[in-house]
Amino acid sequence: MPDEHASEPSTFATAAPVPKPDFAGDATEVERELRAARSGAGRWRRKVPDPLEVQPARGLWGNAFRQLLRKKSAVVGMVMLGILVLVAVFAPLIAPYDPNEVLLGQGVTPRDAPCIHLFGCAEDTPQHILGTDGNGRDEFSRILFGARVSLAAGVGAVLFAVVIGTAIGLVAGYYGRWADSVLMRLMDVLLAFPSLLLAIFIVTVFGPGLVNAIFAISIVSIPIYARVVRSTVVSLRESDFVKADIALGVSTPRIIWHRILPNSLTPLIVQATLGVATAVLEIAALSFLGLGVQPPTAEWGSMLAAERNQVFTAPHLVFFPGIAIMWNVLAFNLLGDGLRDALDPRLNL
Amino acid sequence: MRSRKLLAASAALALVVGACGSDDDSSDDASDADTAESVAPDDAESEDTEASDDAEETEDTEPATEDTEASDDDADDSDDDGDAAASGDFEPMSVSAPDCDYGGLFDTIAAVDELTVEFTLCQPDVAFESKVAFSAFGIWPDEVLEETGGGGPELFENPVGTGPYMLEQWDRGNQLVMSANPDYWGDAAGSDTLVFRWSEEAAQRLVELQSGSVDGIDNPGRDDFEVISSDDTLQLLEREGTNVFYLGLNRDIPPFDDERVRQAIAMALDRQRIVDAFYPPGSSVADQFLPSSIFGYTEEPTWYDVDLDMARELMAEAGYADGFDVTLNYRDVVRSYLPSPGTVGVDIQDQLSAIGINVTVEVMESGAFLDASAAGELPMYMLGWGADYPDATNFLDFHFGVGASDQFGEGFEDIQALLTEGGQVNDPDERLDIYMQATELIKEHVPMVPVAHGGSGTAYRADVTNAQASPLGNERFSVMEPGDRDTFVWMQNAEPIGLYCADETDGESLRACEQINESLLSYEVGGTAVEAALAESWESNEDGTVWTFTLRDGVTFHNGNPLDANDVVATYVAQWDAASPLHVGREGTFYYFSADFLGFLNAPEEEEG
Repeated sequence: MPDEHASEPSTFATAAPVPKPDFAGDATEVERELRAARSGAGRWRRKVPDPLEVQPARGLWGNAFRQLLRKKSAVVGMVMLGILVLVAVFAPLIAPYDPNEVLLGQGVTPRDAPCIHLFGCAEDTPQHILGTDGNGRDEFSRILFGARVSLAAGVGAVLFAVVIGTAIGLVAGYYGRWADSVLMRLMDVLLAFPSLLLAIFIVTVFGPGLVNAIFAISIVSIPIYARVVRSTVVSLRESDFVKADIALGVSTPRIIWHRILPNSLTPLIVQATLGVATAVLEIAALSFLGLGVQPPTAEWGSMLAAERNQVFTAPHLVFFPGIAIMWNVLAFNLLGDGLRDALDPRLNL
Repeated sequence: MRSRKLLAASAALALVVGACGSDDDSSDDASDADTAESVAPDDAESEDTEASDDAEETEDTEPATEDTEASDDDADDSDDDGDAAASGDFEPMSVSAPDCDYGGLFDTIAAVDELTVEFTLCQPDVAFESKVAFSAFGIWPDEVLEETGGGGPELFENPVGTGPYMLEQWDRGNQLVMSANPDYWGDAAGSDTLVFRWSEEAAQRLVELQSGSVDGIDNPGRDDFEVISSDDTLQLLEREGTNVFYLGLNRDIPPFDDERVRQAIAMALDRQRIVDAFYPPGSSVADQFLPSSIFGYTEEPTWYDVDLDMARELMAEAGYADGFDVTLNYRDVVRSYLPSPGTVGVDIQDQLSAIGINVTVEVMESGAFLDASAAGELPMYMLGWGADYPDATNFLDFHFGVGASDQFGEGFEDIQALLTEGGQVNDPDERLDIYMQATELIKEHVPMVPVAHGGSGTAYRADVTNAQASPLGNERFSVMEPGDRDTFVWMQNAEPIGLYCADETDGESLRACEQINESLLSYEVGGTAVEAALAESWESNEDGTVWTFTLRDGVTFHNGNPLDANDVVATYVAQWDAASPLHVGREGTFYYFSADFLGFLNAPEEEEG
């Protein structure tokens, strides 16, 4: 029960990073109370009689993590993501072959069926756990290395979009008036296009390639983050603690940096985690269309595209990259959902 | 009809401009041609004035050698526009080049009488019959050409021919429906309706065939050959590889301006590996540009053996010991010469990395790719060629001859000289010798690396009779009978681009045209031998410079007009004469005409020069 946890000193809470703004120095008592009330994201916090006695450092992040662990789907997501990250990092150690090495002439023909010695495949044929692709390359190695591209591209695209989107959202939300109008209408224009279509357009203009694909997907997803940040900033700007700061003559950059930004992070993190899943999917889609990763680099979308015609004769070559994409997207979606429940009570309906 | 006059005027225009400083007679005669119709002569007059103005700009060479011989007839045969075979009021058309200096093959194209056409050539052409049989030179009714102005969607979406099928409906992006021609001069079509459908995906084509929604498909995927041949309800026909897939190298773009670099690439490519891994059964490694079944092929010389050390040495000599970066372009379009473009591109990328060449593989949209390669903008690209007619000229002249595009950069003069000679010599042994020398030179210069002659195939449902896989890719559906069904559905790789095939080069368009339009001659069903079609009989003079074709009597076009010699002349002249108002087409390139018959009359460059 939540109440039992309330009195326990949480190891997670103390160990977890505390990106709380350091305003202990100028905090008034009212503000501390406010802050404590605000940061009490978990349900159990509300049942504590005196919020002022609870250490704020134990608040948001520790609780969020505990909440997260309590959701089975989120744990599954984390485990899946963990495996994916391990695979990506240690791909060169795990992969039996160079992913780009054409093995034709080494007992390999294009599109060999999977051959696992353990399961009775003849010992004199080379072992290829997932078979070989249309160019006679080891499919398993390519899937492993594909995780690197997929993760890096997904996270990279979202990071870029978050940075730009946050900046736009902060400016629009905090300054309001014409800055708000201009920036948000610009974002509306971007949102008006179907995202993949716009990404295809951008890649077509700048030329195909991984970097350009990441860039395109970033641009397309900027409005989402800008809107999320703006909406929280608008409400924060009207909150009492910000007004108090303004009354005290705290400089605007300091208010934005130390008050507004930290408090608008939670919805952003949820959105970004879910956004990675979308970005991964869009990178795969662009590569499928030949606009993303260029050969011979292993990437799941392009691997799918290359073998789509062999879906009946060599189904494994379509099946495994498909599974890999699904794994990646599912991991981020589950984690994102869990994070949303844990971090953002407002969305937790 | 105004349109009738237009053509006559165009003939006059051709004549006058071609004559370069024409005398008044030719204009007058041309005007006479117009009077065969009840037309206002001043229209024709204005055309003539224009033409004369043009003519005055250029220097006088020779007067026109032949004129439009118009007999002054009464003007009231408006029912059939003077085409009626029986009415005896036929006024034969004739168009001549002022002289043969314009570089093309034709000197005169003339209707002798209603059913006789005579082609006078500037030089002998041993492949003339094969060329005339090609579907780009299918005969159209002159009225239709005039009414549509020789181009535009009205023309290339509404073909009118004499063939066993006529177009019923072209549902763009979906299907092409043809119905049997009830008045066909030959054996009636085997199915009442013929439907063309298309899909780029080999898997989809196969599924449609297996499910019975189509009766025949083109180019089954490499891995599907086995599936089809082991299926009792289907039949597989292998198509011999009368094509070539090559890696084009443009010598205008460094580092391919150095012959040693091109030779190094020729030695570095393991073509056997490509054929073994990516081509269906029936394919072979290309030892030269010509496939073995095409006249002109000789066993010697064979291509370079794979020799990576030698290749590296050549690269070092050329100053590229550390290799270089280059882009390899291709289009993701399946053809029998290249059944899996993407994988072959990646394999070439992998192979060339062995001699330090860092290749970026880049796919382009098909049309843009063809344009860019023909314009000489691509340094290295994968392209191929399928036989249109079985002669060396179709392969070598088109790519390396005088009239070739810039796809390999500036032409090689020594090769060009040999090919020009080879097209004019009659003795087969002598020709073979010339083509052997040309092949030797191609090997030395390496404008491209021939990789494979791709076998391919067609597959049909088992109950389709007379199913074929034509080596020229022109399956004739009128002789096939799809079991007890009324409709034959054919599924090919892509949608036809246009159905005025004089201005198409795409095999998918040509195949559709071939069902609707017929040429003077044709190729035998499923083979390459030339046989009679619209021309019942034909003969040439001794040195092969005058060809006379006698047309079949009683043939009518799909619009009801009878076929006569003027239709043939009009069809050819619309392509031949670049100054003709009917020289429009879809894009106006008339690629096959210029490649096969060496050049256009009144080509713009020559007027300026």
